[in-house]
Amino acid sequence: MTRNVAIIGTSAIPVGRHQTADDAQQQTLEHEIMTRLVVDAVRDAGVDKKDIQSLVFTLPRPYTRQKYFHTFLMGQLRLACKGNVMEVMGNGMTAALAFDQACNDILLGRSEVSLALGINMESAVSATEHMMSSMRTTGDVDFHTSAGFTPIAWYAMDAMRYMHEHGATREHLAAVAVKNRHHASLNPLAQYRKPITLEEVVGQRPIVEPLGLYDVPPRGDGAACLVLATEEIAKSLGKPYALVRGRGFCHDGTHQISDVPNDMIAFTSAQQAAADAYTQAGIGPADIDLAELYAPCTIVEILVSEAIGLVPKGQGGRAALEGETRLGGRIPISTSGGLTSRGHPAYVTSLYNYVELAEQLRGRAGERQVADARFGMATGELGNYNAALIHVLEAKQ
Amino acid sequence: MTLSQLTIEAQRAYPPRESEFTRTFWSALREGRWLTTRCKSCERKTFPPKLVCPHCWATDVEWVKLGAQGTLYSWTRIHAAPAVFASEAPYACGIVDLDEGIRLACRLVEAEQSPLAVGQRMEMVVLQYQDGPIFAARPCA
Repeated sequence: MTRNVAIIGTSAIPVGRHQTADDAQQQTLEHEIMTRLVVDAVRDAGVDKKDIQSLVFTLPRPYTRQKYFHTFLMGQLRLACKGNVMEVMGNGMTAALAFDQACNDILLGRSEVSLALGINMESAVSATEHMMSSMRTTGDVDFHTSAGFTPIAWYAMDAMRYMHEHGATREHLAAVAVKNRHHASLNPLAQYRKPITLEEVVGQRPIVEPLGLYDVPPRGDGAACLVLATEEIAKSLGKPYALVRGRGFCHDGTHQISDVPNDMIAFTSAQQAAADAYTQAGIGPADIDLAELYAPCTIVEILVSEAIGLVPKGQGGRAALEGETRLGGRIPISTSGGLTSRGHPAYVTSLYNYVELAEQLRGRAGERQVADARFGMATGELGNYNAALIHVLEAKQ
Repeated sequence: MTLSQLTIEAQRAYPPRESEFTRTFWSALREGRWLTTRCKSCERKTFPPKLVCPHCWATDVEWVKLGAQGTLYSWTRIHAAPAVFASEAPYACGIVDLDEGIRLACRLVEAEQSPLAVGQRMEMVVLQYQDGPIFAARPCA
């Protein structure tokens, strides 16, 4: 019989500034945060330590002093297992890959219960210094970085193109930030929770034109742990769980930019990966009740939501402005507050997206609860959505 | 194609590396010559130059001239810059579609009389820094 995977437990610290400066007398230690989160998530799931046979960690940032963090943590927890223990890395897709690999260990029969977990600490490193590394992650380090491109500069060019093609305005983009801040105001895990207005977003200083401070992600730290299990185990626990119903991956064979001119803002990898995920789940975009998108900037949420069919092409900004993608609207997007307000500790960002889907699909999202949420979708990305990894989850009792 | 050259009295903020292969490109650029590679098998050009054709994986490529004219596909002005570029910020970068069907990304040179706009005609230029060249584009006069 085909095995299925379910999320049965989660834990996370609020996204924020947790990392201590190198010269601080009292330090925040990553493993102390992580060991507590493992215990919390496993308690939430209701399984035993000995049930866990596989752990997939996200790679910590280079600023984390403890190297080989994953095997170090195994020692801290005296957690013996025979499935798999590893750290994965895929830039922005890192946490989506950790989740996917933890699912694989269960699907391959290597484990009955797996953890997908990780910590991302970087906020004590200044943005200008951090960018010295991140500028080497997008584009060609010799032919693009030498011109001064930064990761979000590519999204800014998406925005400029989108505004040109569809007549979208700064207000259309800003509406995504306002909507997501409202969602974040209801999420205790969110980094920025004070409501903001359209005028405030549009009035922020430019970061990468046309994007201003509130259109781009804040810098922050985070850590989270997901407990995954076979559906058989999930059922036996007698509590709601979130079942993985579909999965799609696509890399479009380019990195950041195609030298053969294409429609750069169509995000075809997301279209393709979503189509595969929908097919596997036996549903279509109209069946999705909420989506947690890997969308570092306001424009990215617009473009991904269009690519995966949740809103018509060219209408993403309007949908946010008119409340269609807001809680209570036709298709709530980024109910956690999204990357601009919930926060974006990049290597664990997608873990927070699955945490939100699990909360919603298990009916535990409190004031943020999407009524009768059945199907949720999460996306992860590489580059300028040159690759996408997409999962469809379903609420099960 | 020989490009217009602008002298910059500074060092490049983040100089590109040169390999035995890419030295042909950077050495030509230093002289204002604008080149890339074309596959001898499928005859497609690619940019940046590559020693394996990304389309057909043939390994026999030749250096050919690139045209200087194109259209601005998109652009941005970067205000929050990495440490080594901070003194140059804000600066503009963009994506140019060359008329011969090659898309590339580069630094943009702004001109007061011709503000940047998507769809604008652009011309490739060389920024000659003290330590070497960087290719860039500016609005056509």
